[in-house]
Amino acid sequence: MNQEKEQQEHRRADFASKKGEVVLRKHEYDGIQEFDQKLPNWWLLTFYGAIVFYLIYWFVYYQAGLIKTDQQAVTEIMAEIQEKRADALEKTLDSLSDKILVHEWATDASIVAEGEALYMKQCFACHGPNLDAPNKLGLSLVDGEWKYGDKPKEIFKLINEGSPADSKGMAPTGAKMVPWGGTYSPKQIAQLVAFIISKNPKDFAKF
Amino acid sequence: MTITYDDKTPRQFMIASIVWGLVGMLVGVIAASQLSWWQANGQFIETITFGAIKTEGLSWLTYGRLRPLHTNAVIFAFVGNMAFSGIYYSTQRLCKCRTASDRLSKIHFWGWQAIIVGAVVTFPLGLTQSKEYAELIWPLDIAVALIWVIFAINFFWTLAKRNEPSLYVALWFYIATIITVAMLYIVNNLQIPTSLTHSYPIFGGLQDALVQWWYGHNAVAFFLTTPILGIMYYFLPKAANRPVYSYRLSIIHFWALVFIYIWAGPHHLLNTALPQWLQTLGMLFSLMLWAPSWGGMLNGLLTLRGGWSQLRTDPVIKFFAAGITFYGMATFEGPLLAIRAVNELSHYTDWGIGHVHSGALGWNGLMAAGMFYWLAPRFWKTELWSKSLANLHFWIALVGILLYVAAMWTAGITQGLMLSQMNEQGTGLKYEFIDTLLAIRWPYYFRTFGGSLYLIGFALCAFNIWKTAKSGSPVNGTAEVTPLEREKKDFLGLKAIFAHKSVQHIFCVIFFTILWIFAPRGGDYAALALVIVFSVLAVRAFRRDVQSWADFHDRLLENYIPLTVLAFIAVAIGGAVQIIPTLIVDRAKNIEGRLQEIYTPLELAGRDIYVAEGCYGCHSQMIRTLKPDVMRYGRIGVNDDYSHLGESIYDFPHQWGSKRTGPDLAREGGPATDDAMLLRSGKRDNLWHFNHFLNPRQLSPGSNMPPYPWFFEDKTDFKSLPGRIAVQRRLGVPFPAMTKDEIEQNAREQALAIAATLPDAYIPGKEDLTGDKLRNYLAERKIIAMIAYMQKLGAYTKQELGKEKPDTFDPDQQRHFRHEKNDPKTTGQ
Repeated sequence: MNQEKEQQEHRRADFASKKGEVVLRKHEYDGIQEFDQKLPNWWLLTFYGAIVFYLIYWFVYYQAGLIKTDQQAVTEIMAEIQEKRADALEKTLDSLSDKILVHEWATDASIVAEGEALYMKQCFACHGPNLDAPNKLGLSLVDGEWKYGDKPKEIFKLINEGSPADSKGMAPTGAKMVPWGGTYSPKQIAQLVAFIISKNPKDFAKF
Repeated sequence: MTITYDDKTPRQFMIASIVWGLVGMLVGVIAASQLSWWQANGQFIETITFGAIKTEGLSWLTYGRLRPLHTNAVIFAFVGNMAFSGIYYSTQRLCKCRTASDRLSKIHFWGWQAIIVGAVVTFPLGLTQSKEYAELIWPLDIAVALIWVIFAINFFWTLAKRNEPSLYVALWFYIATIITVAMLYIVNNLQIPTSLTHSYPIFGGLQDALVQWWYGHNAVAFFLTTPILGIMYYFLPKAANRPVYSYRLSIIHFWALVFIYIWAGPHHLLNTALPQWLQTLGMLFSLMLWAPSWGGMLNGLLTLRGGWSQLRTDPVIKFFAAGITFYGMATFEGPLLAIRAVNELSHYTDWGIGHVHSGALGWNGLMAAGMFYWLAPRFWKTELWSKSLANLHFWIALVGILLYVAAMWTAGITQGLMLSQMNEQGTGLKYEFIDTLLAIRWPYYFRTFGGSLYLIGFALCAFNIWKTAKSGSPVNGTAEVTPLEREKKDFLGLKAIFAHKSVQHIFCVIFFTILWIFAPRGGDYAALALVIVFSVLAVRAFRRDVQSWADFHDRLLENYIPLTVLAFIAVAIGGAVQIIPTLIVDRAKNIEGRLQEIYTPLELAGRDIYVAEGCYGCHSQMIRTLKPDVMRYGRIGVNDDYSHLGESIYDFPHQWGSKRTGPDLAREGGPATDDAMLLRSGKRDNLWHFNHFLNPRQLSPGSNMPPYPWFFEDKTDFKSLPGRIAVQRRLGVPFPAMTKDEIEQNAREQALAIAATLPDAYIPGKEDLTGDKLRNYLAERKIIAMIAYMQKLGAYTKQELGKEKPDTFDPDQQRHFRHEKNDPKTTGQ
């Protein structure tokens, strides 16, 4: 029904004979007919546009060498972050002393709460929810022993940089703590230290 | 004369498609619920069996094994059988002759179903190559290749016998499908068996990644797209009873599509260690692919122009129109995701999952349903049992897809943004991986719900078709045909293809464009100039003599062999340009200064377990050259700690992955801690991994990773190691010379050493094991091999390689020498 109507409206031919004419192709396939409409301009534009973009992009990158390689770009960005990190660390350490950590940070309930929240996200997995490392994945933090130094700033350093390079790790697995300075900001690490101090008031009373 | 078509074959394929479709989608829903609720494989099974099955997780139902079953069942069983049904039905009618051989049709049908059964058995058993959508083990690969050849013979033989001089556009797409899938499947599955069920691919690391995604991307193109476009071109004008919109659009979009699609594979590896020239080609060709894809959509939708009223009355048209719209949406989204900047955010997230489901549920699933509803009444000479049920199917399916896709967009974009967010001081990342996973719990629930709706809709379709079949009886179509005189078809020789100026002109433009990619300094400008000159010449020649170009194409359509050869050349070029240079470039030098350390036998055993369990479904091993990736997964203070090419050079197959439901593992391991190199200290220690495999949530609350209780039961296969290492040596991995006994002894020694670090390990139900007993028990189990592998991940040695002159086939080295040779700052990568 529809096809009959179309047949009347359009000339049957293999190709258009004048500009703008739309023909219905002569040949039918199992009853299927085909118009021969012009390609939409916007469609052609996207196609040509993509091809031209190819030529320009390739030229700018490979011929002119105007863009950094991915490796160069990311290495530079990481160097900047590294610097920022060092700056922030220096500032935080300058503003902190063992005394401040023990008597100001560790006694401030809100700071300790922040530290506890951080602790309960990652640290507890190895050091235990009560800091006594029941599964022996990490060292106990409430046994009065401070293997890598008992000063608050030494603990800060340990969290920030991980177990010292020359450490043999924990027997028998040889487990070492990874550095957390990439994950946590200096401020967050100070909060963690405050939390640990608050759980060991006797050990740190001397500061 | 009157001929009878063979409608039994397409009818059988249709039934098979519906049955396997139900299976494939059900497996998808199960896998999705496991991601939402890890207990789905475990407690949930205990509950529904009233405690008859006590389990923490059944190995054969675990996500890593179900995912390949789901993807393969949907691609090869559901869409594959659907496409065969449409191809067998329409090819006979477009050729005005019965399929050449009933026997070959029968072998094709039953052979294909047997392969699917093979997949359903092997995947849950953990028998896999772990190459995405090519996971089938080698005996099944050979079966697929054989059955595909039988299909091809049957198809081309039918073309040869045709009583219709000219080939309709649907057939061009079928031809492209058959030859391209054969090419892709064979090359990507080149492998050396080590046993009846295991093999290593002949390509490793970067080469494997490139070949795999050349295949993976074009499985989408030539298994899920081109056959369905062919089906659209036949069934849509039939159902709508309207002429196709534009013949010339068919020509342009067909040739552009098949030529360009092949080049786009590397867009699956953007921002990875893949050489930048390949990434650039992948992105740029993906952008060029947008218009040709939309050409297909336009020719579909505009065919319905003026007949939109049918949308309200005819469920078939409704399904087709929605399916084609989803095709348009997915093929717009594809190029968008292939832009490197967008891909930074979207890659490895659920956005990709949403994208493929727009295609699979929207395009393939709806087109399949439309075709089934159109075919069923004709197959059984009756009316469709219930139109309103078909309408209900449509609406349920549509809501299901939209929920699914919207959920995945939300999940993907949320996670992508969170992963790259910095903390207030700009010194670190704000969120940990687990935070981002917890943030997308709700989208995951909605995904499971949307997928379930789609499955319900499809079950309604199955029921409707079954009722329709019962209300009629199977018939075979007949037609009156006039036998075609021999000289009216297939009169051109192969030479004729290259004799016409249209082909010559286009080849010249393509040839110089490729030359431009590789030409050394000086030659590149000449090549670029020639590209421009030949483009101008081609346009002029076309303008001057349009008629001759058009006549040539019309003649080509009356000669199926030249048409097929030309189509093959078009699809072969892209792969050849990308893959052959990558194989030629000296592998030992193309490592970016870092060379992977060889696995010990036990570590290799662990790696093979990782591969068999399908861990790549959730974990990548690729730190991209992006800030958030290097920050999150690289080592502190190592600014260039992205994954370098040489770090996965000995990985057969590569495990760069495509989705991160868990964190990247590229640097999970660490340096050796003893002189014998048996123990290593990675990001986490041995006990952490031990407990984590037993119960991931103990150490990572909120994780949705399944527990792996069978690692603590099943024994490591030490006996197969010498055979496996022998094959890897043949593939070029420089394993130290060891006898069979030495290999096994070395593996056992390392296993005992690792087990010795776990004296307090606790295995539920094995409390009586202590001391040496525990140690000896553990050393035999898979868990120790897995720990060995985890601790080795990312181990490499530094290699300084001086380079005198660039490799001819490496555009990045050419660029380096052209622009940066004398700049000391940029040479030290």
